[in-house]
Amino acid sequence: MDVFSNTVVLSRMQFALTATFHMLWPVLTTGMAIYLVVLEGLWLRTRNPQYYLHARFWSKLYLLNFGIGVATGLPMEFQFGTNWAPLSEAIGDFFGSVLGFEGTMAFMLEAGFLGIMLFGWERVSPVIHYLATIMVAFGANLSTFWILVANSWLQTPTGGTFENGKFIIASYGEAIFNPFMRNSVMHMFFATLETSLFVIGGISAWYIINKRHTEFFAKSLKIVLAVAIAVAPLQLYIGHLSGEQVYHQQPSKLAAMEAQWETIPAGQPASWSALAIPNDKEGKNNWEISVPNALGYILEFKKDLSEPVQGLNSWKPEDRPHMIGLVYYSFRIMIAIGFFLAGLMALSVLQWLRGKLSAGAIADQKWLMRAWIFAAPLGYIAVESGWIVRCVGRQPWTVYGAIRTADAASNLPPSNVLGSLSIFAVVYSLLFVSALFFGSRIIRQGPNMELPIPEVGPRANIEVKPVEHRPDQRPLETTQSSSQS
Amino acid sequence: MEALEYFLPTVWFVFLALFLFLYVMLDGFDLGVGILSLTASSEERRGILMTSLGNVWDANETWLVIMGGALFGAFPIAYATILSALYIPLVLMLLGLIFRAVAFEFREHAENKLFWNTAFGAGSFIAALGQGFALGSVIQGIRVDEAGHFIGTTWDWLTWQSVVVALTLIQGYVLIGSTYLILKTTGELQKTHYGTARLAAWTTLIGAVLITITVPTFFEQARDRLFSTPQVYIFALIPLLGVLLIYLLLRSLQKEEEVAPFVWTILLFLLTFIGLGMIIFPYIIPTQITIYQGAANPSSLVFMLTFVGVLIPIMLFYNIYNYLVFRGKVTEETYG
Repeated sequence: MDVFSNTVVLSRMQFALTATFHMLWPVLTTGMAIYLVVLEGLWLRTRNPQYYLHARFWSKLYLLNFGIGVATGLPMEFQFGTNWAPLSEAIGDFFGSVLGFEGTMAFMLEAGFLGIMLFGWERVSPVIHYLATIMVAFGANLSTFWILVANSWLQTPTGGTFENGKFIIASYGEAIFNPFMRNSVMHMFFATLETSLFVIGGISAWYIINKRHTEFFAKSLKIVLAVAIAVAPLQLYIGHLSGEQVYHQQPSKLAAMEAQWETIPAGQPASWSALAIPNDKEGKNNWEISVPNALGYILEFKKDLSEPVQGLNSWKPEDRPHMIGLVYYSFRIMIAIGFFLAGLMALSVLQWLRGKLSAGAIADQKWLMRAWIFAAPLGYIAVESGWIVRCVGRQPWTVYGAIRTADAASNLPPSNVLGSLSIFAVVYSLLFVSALFFGSRIIRQGPNMELPIPEVGPRANIEVKPVEHRPDQRPLETTQSSSQS
Repeated sequence: MEALEYFLPTVWFVFLALFLFLYVMLDGFDLGVGILSLTASSEERRGILMTSLGNVWDANETWLVIMGGALFGAFPIAYATILSALYIPLVLMLLGLIFRAVAFEFREHAENKLFWNTAFGAGSFIAALGQGFALGSVIQGIRVDEAGHFIGTTWDWLTWQSVVVALTLIQGYVLIGSTYLILKTTGELQKTHYGTARLAAWTTLIGAVLITITVPTFFEQARDRLFSTPQVYIFALIPLLGVLLIYLLLRSLQKEEEVAPFVWTILLFLLTFIGLGMIIFPYIIPTQITIYQGAANPSSLVFMLTFVGVLIPIMLFYNIYNYLVFRGKVTEETYG
């Protein structure tokens, strides 16, 4: 089978590439939007201008990410039609409406208020501005909700029946609240938040270690830490629940995640493979470190399994996932990162309690700050690994148990898909390098501490003396009421 | 139930037309300004052009996302067939949209702006071109079997008719972009765009005349419907109104009015849309699958309708609010 002449393989590669790349940007904007809500709320409450300057600084990184997120999101929606036409036809009644909801309810909300949030600081009153920021954050997270509803339904397609390969919906409620939905939405919600927190924390640590605006960034690091106290452990717990639902609902994915080739019957303890070299061809692990009796504790916090764990060899090769090593290691990488981030949070909180994070002392915490910088990209890696487990582990199914990936792809000439895939690969590489380059430029420039602070308060009214505000980085326009005319 | 099965697909056809119209109008001026940025004589002018879009471009583009989602949910077969049939023009469009979207931020931070200027202008042009080809081949009809599956070839979309439609659409975008800039700019920059608007009005007129004359050759059903009474009177009215609008537009440009050219152009777009809608209706994949054959099942359509129907006025409300907050002239480059 030649990869370059196989449309299904090429379409899968294209979807994997575009999805993996797209995921990088909304992760930050979704989580950071909540952070911006917190900052602006603190500013309005305390009137401390530092919070305002923080909001303005982080908004720059937000904006850079948002543009790429929008741009790379479009191919995601269109690919269902262009490359996966039979799938779209079969499940469009439900799946398409969910994407429609995402656009109308969530994405438009975010886009519609984004202009005001980013450029409207002196055009609307602080309260309206805060409302716009909240709408952006709400819209972004509502997007997470609908996209995860759609994807969870592919994992556990409930709420209707498949007739002649076409999904006939019986209950929208059941389809939307499918078994995977709740945990998956929460897992992704906390993933975007946690990734964003550690990116913000990492960048703050970089400034602290370089002795630039130390006090200013000690503040952002502490806000991050205060939120992470709840987020990091909760994410571990929801991660566990997500694993448990795979155990109950998607046996072939669980087997791939744990490289379990032989079936373990219910009511028995089972050993857990901590590290292994899975051999897909021979259906066994070439080498393995296993922990006796551990699998039951990992899945259910008890020794004996209450359900059997099916081994990969119990399916015909065409009915189970392949690339076991990818699924197995992606899973372990995600978990390792989850624990590392929670540990870093705990250690930092300890130092905070010991008074070592005060503005005067924090720059001496060199190793802790280095650990935070190291942790900045880890959230992204965990998110991507998690999605690999979720979607490669679901194979050979696109709709688990109902529609095979091989039957879901459009019948396109391979040359078309190879062409578009190659162009996407080149363009996305260019975007990635450019985003890193411009992102680090924004970071090196640092915050603009000279920005005029808008007046807050019951009597604050931007219309009162607009000419006294110096122009800033909003689109400046002479309105009719301006004195320039 | 019988009536419902005719009513619901019709409602969704109208909704889709509304989303597409909003997209073509709003991202139309957006892409038009992008294409015009290729002719900007200085960095400062280009900066003002991009600033005039800074707060609206992503919301404008979102109408395309909504259009796609609504088509996917309401007419799954049309979504599947049309998108896979138009693979190349749509990939072109996506690449164009990607380049122009990232250019906003990258250009702002770049020291050497040439590359991202080109990405913005050329991206806008390519996106418009891809959309034009797609529109042209949809009007012309997509070859499908009885079940509505695509049976044509990779290059079906490339015909002289689709070339005419694509070029005309680009002219239309340049026209609406110019009139938007007349609204948003002052002085020399505004004067320049009175010129481009006049030029674009004439080239759009030529394109529109060509399309109007040749549409009856596009497909038989259109011909039959166009020339039967009483439709023939309605269809005859559209070109007449179009000529009138172009006249009013040219006159307002002559008088150097600021708001009127944009309004006449929007009405011209609306008129074109009504004409196109009447030609295509009741097909969702011209010339084979009607909206009644291609629609999702009624319960899906009702479910979507409840949500989306409520959300349309809300979306329109906050979008209009966004435009109001940023109303007035852009006088200097301050994006970012």
